[in-house]
Amino acid sequence: MKAVFISFNQAYYDMILAIMDRNNIRGFTYWEQVQGRGSKNGEPHYGSHAWPTLNSSILAIIESRQVDNFLDLLKKLDKQTEALGLRAFVWSVEQNI
Amino acid sequence: MSLYASAIKKPVTTALIFVAVVIMGLFSLTRLSVDLLPEIESNMILVMTAYPGASAADIETNLSKPLENVLNSVSDLKNITSQSKENISIVTLEFEYGTDIDVATNDVRDKLDMVTSALPDNAENPIIFKFGTDDIPILILSVTADESMDALYKILDDKVANPLARIKGVGAVSISGAPIREIQVYCDPYKLEAYGQSVESISSVIAQENRNTPGGTIDIGSNTYSLRVQGEFTDASQISNLVIGNQNGKPVYLRDVARVTDTVEERMQEAYNNGKQGGMIIIQKQSGANSVNISKLVKDKLPELQADLPSDVKLGIIIDTSTNISNTIDSLVETIGVTFLIVMLVVFLFLGRWRATFIIILTIPISLIAAFAYLMASGNTLNIISLSSLSIAIGMVVDDAIVVLENVTTHIERGSRPKQAAVHATNEVAISVIASTLTMLAVFLPLTMVTGMAGILFKQLGWIVSIIMIVSTLAALTLIPMLCSQMLRLNLKRGKLYVIFFTPIEKALNKLDDLYALLLDWAVRHRKTIMTGAALIFAGSMLLLPAVKTEFFPTQDNARISVSVELPVGIRQDITRDLAFKINKEFTEKYPEIEVISFSEGQANTDNTFAQLSANGTHIIEFNISLYSIGVRKEKSGSDRGLIEICESIRLDLAAYAEIKKFEVMAGGGASMGSETTVDIEIYGYDFAETDKVAAEIAGRMKNASVVSQVNISREDYIPEYQIDFDREKLALNGLNVTTASMYLRNRINGSLASQYREDGNEYDIRVRYAPEFRQSIEDLENIIMYNNSGQGVRIRDVGTVVEQMTPPTIERKNRERVITVSAVVAQDAVLSDVVTVANQEMKSIDMPSGLSWSIGGTYEDQQDTFRDLGILMVLIIILVFIVMAAQFESLVDPFVIMFTIPFGITGVILGLSITQTPLGVMALIGLIMLMGIVVKNGIVIIDYMILCRERGQSIITAAVTAGRSRLRPVLMTTLTTVLGMLPLALGTGEGAEMWRSMGMTVAWGLSVSTLITLVLIPVVYCIFAANGVKRRRRKFARLYLPKNFNH
Repeated sequence: MKAVFISFNQAYYDMILAIMDRNNIRGFTYWEQVQGRGSKNGEPHYGSHAWPTLNSSILAIIESRQVDNFLDLLKKLDKQTEALGLRAFVWSVEQNI
Repeated sequence: MSLYASAIKKPVTTALIFVAVVIMGLFSLTRLSVDLLPEIESNMILVMTAYPGASAADIETNLSKPLENVLNSVSDLKNITSQSKENISIVTLEFEYGTDIDVATNDVRDKLDMVTSALPDNAENPIIFKFGTDDIPILILSVTADESMDALYKILDDKVANPLARIKGVGAVSISGAPIREIQVYCDPYKLEAYGQSVESISSVIAQENRNTPGGTIDIGSNTYSLRVQGEFTDASQISNLVIGNQNGKPVYLRDVARVTDTVEERMQEAYNNGKQGGMIIIQKQSGANSVNISKLVKDKLPELQADLPSDVKLGIIIDTSTNISNTIDSLVETIGVTFLIVMLVVFLFLGRWRATFIIILTIPISLIAAFAYLMASGNTLNIISLSSLSIAIGMVVDDAIVVLENVTTHIERGSRPKQAAVHATNEVAISVIASTLTMLAVFLPLTMVTGMAGILFKQLGWIVSIIMIVSTLAALTLIPMLCSQMLRLNLKRGKLYVIFFTPIEKALNKLDDLYALLLDWAVRHRKTIMTGAALIFAGSMLLLPAVKTEFFPTQDNARISVSVELPVGIRQDITRDLAFKINKEFTEKYPEIEVISFSEGQANTDNTFAQLSANGTHIIEFNISLYSIGVRKEKSGSDRGLIEICESIRLDLAAYAEIKKFEVMAGGGASMGSETTVDIEIYGYDFAETDKVAAEIAGRMKNASVVSQVNISREDYIPEYQIDFDREKLALNGLNVTTASMYLRNRINGSLASQYREDGNEYDIRVRYAPEFRQSIEDLENIIMYNNSGQGVRIRDVGTVVEQMTPPTIERKNRERVITVSAVVAQDAVLSDVVTVANQEMKSIDMPSGLSWSIGGTYEDQQDTFRDLGILMVLIIILVFIVMAAQFESLVDPFVIMFTIPFGITGVILGLSITQTPLGVMALIGLIMLMGIVVKNGIVIIDYMILCRERGQSIITAAVTAGRSRLRPVLMTTLTTVLGMLPLALGTGEGAEMWRSMGMTVAWGLSVSTLITLVLIPVVYCIFAANGVKRRRRKFARLYLPKNFNH
């Protein structure tokens, strides 16, 4: 079991959901409006006057075997339109109920 | 879920809601009627009191003065003026605009009830008459006749006036110029004396003989019959066989002492149309009815009526106000069409994409059509104001849509799917779109609250533009994102045609961006130079201010001229008629532009209220000239002279006639607005001689001024009249008094109304008086015999003397003081303010006797009132705009920086008006007010982006340059749509274009100049304020964190 945290420009939501559906990833937690900025480049997403865009985040706990394929697809999506911004981070889940 | 998100989610609902709005608007459009101006409720009440036979001075003391004293206490009264002329007193009450005239009428009626008993016995009851724009005749028909002339009145009354009056919306239909039948009993005074009869006795016999009396009922057998004596004359000839008395046991018949003629009234107004005698039918509409519709109905009915008339009676049209209205509206509709095309072209050039252009342009019809629903709901009409509001709005409604679409495009280009892009992009700009609409509302909503004349005119403009702005903003936040999500695609491939067309445009725009950035970079580093330069430009434009002339409303070429010609007072009607024919012939030959020319001369009947309102008399000729309308003048007559030019020429023609004492040529035919401008100098004072002298002096001086084309003095000449001075002692000795004596005189000369002869349901007066041949000399007057109670006859010469006197025919009073008005008509190339300047100079230099005072009234007074109202409004609007901007930026400094655009808007206006020599009138002032809202929008766009750049961490100068560069295109685009949208208004040449030309001119010039200057100035001013802010923060920081004894 791995936890995948995806932080992305709001506009990606529909597409990410579509990818998850195709890959039988059912469970996730979704925050519609989150703010943040990238570590290296890209525009901040603050929802403010200066930086009006906003991010959303998804936290999905998935089977380890699904992770690689899922990340590949996300990377492809990000490469198509780099200006929007999409990042995913994976770590292990130690226990669950 | 937000408004735009749901709109994008439900494209069908969104689309259909707007379709519904359009359908409602179009439905309203089919129901809207057309008119020239918004309905102006009348603010005038006339109180007319007839006192037959009284001279002007008598009328003044006995009627006008008491009426004025009482009526003066009516509330909301602005001015009270009165005209006392022979036979009639007209008191005019002018109320403040916006006063409820019905309430005022009731007040007036109550006050009149109080005073009626104190008025002279023979005076008729005062008639209240509301006079507003509704009462201006909408149609004047001409009637020409040959054989039917004598019976014309009855023919017209039965066959034309009555059927016309039955048409829905037609108010009064009056006939003038057609003689009215009257039965005259002409007595021979010598025979009367011989038979011991008098006019009074004959009159009472006729009255007693001409009567039907019911005699009650009678039962005969089983039936009840009613009893009746049918004594009324069935034929006029029966009158001459009446027995009026006995002498030596033999009956005296009326025919023994008098002759009875069944003829027409003696003194009458004659009317000629295109040189043929006939009459005029004046058609007024009911209050609130639509002139264009009525005019159409009447014209449709005319062929039918014509078929019913005797073959020699021909109907024609002299004046048809609806032609001017429809032509004006047509030319305005054309202007709107041109504006629409221009705006579309600008949007297409800047965006270079068909789909985007289509989406943006779609907001124009939707929001414009929505305005029709408002017009319908509020009961308004399609008129100059409502249609020019539409034209103004076209350039502005696309702004919001452009902002939204631009941002959606940016998002799509960054990689969002159109749907997501539409939601998020709209979300980002929603606040600033709403804020910029609010600034526009801050300008246009206060317009709906103006009072006075301007309020009536611009209420509609305020509402329409506000509603259009609101609808367009709603469309920009729902329909536009929805359409973007459906229609826009990320399409990086460009078509061949696109490359050919748009590569040069793209290159030019890029080059412009670069140049502007360079200029800005230099400017923000030379702030002092720029500020000084700007101050100099503003100050320089202020120096031009004296060169800007002012006016009220421009003169409109409505193809109507009215000319009033006055010969020396007391001249016989035949001579006047001959001259009228001569002038008529000259005009017809000289001016091919004339379509119809008609004139009337002579004394109008006291019953004809319409004719009584204008001057009339045997020495006065009134011409009504109707030219071919400006649109077809060239092709119909081969000449394209304007109305004013023709008027000037007519003035020269008339000046050549030596016999004419005074003439007045009025362009526009006395229409309420857009007619020729005059400056009225009012001279107050009781003494006729003194005021006359001053008036003549000032009139002489004004006439010499080049800016004046004609000067009229309101007071007419002294009428020679005979007065009979009775010796009261002698009267008393003979058992008479002044009243009885004057009644005897009146019955013999003016005639005594004995009774009325009825025929076919019509009543005709039977008038008993001396035959014309016995009232031609002073001796005839002196020989009149009066009888006292004991039946003794006394001749007038035994108890009084006939003396010749001169009295003024009309005594005019304003605000309870005698007034004489010198009105100067503004010449062709001059404007109101020129003449006011001259008038003020001349009045100051004139030697004014003590006790006299003067003021300038007329158009100038209205202009001053309106300008004052609009001036206050402008201050209010600036404050409101500031408040809206301060709320948007949550700062006081930023809106203050934006406010710097306003002075340069004014600079542009002054520059434009003085270069094009357009005078500043009400329309231009409205343009200036609109400008306040439009110019700050540019400032908002630039400052908003500068703040954004600063927030993104750029330095002040970099922020200013980057923001300027990136916002140059949107600013240019919105400015161009607005300025080019105004051009068809500013350059219009169609009928009625004079009205809105100055408004278009003001906005176009003001916006262009202010945009050019603010594009450089606003970044500079922003830098100054932002730099000061930074310095202040640094000092504060230093105080807080550095040790107190720190030394540099």
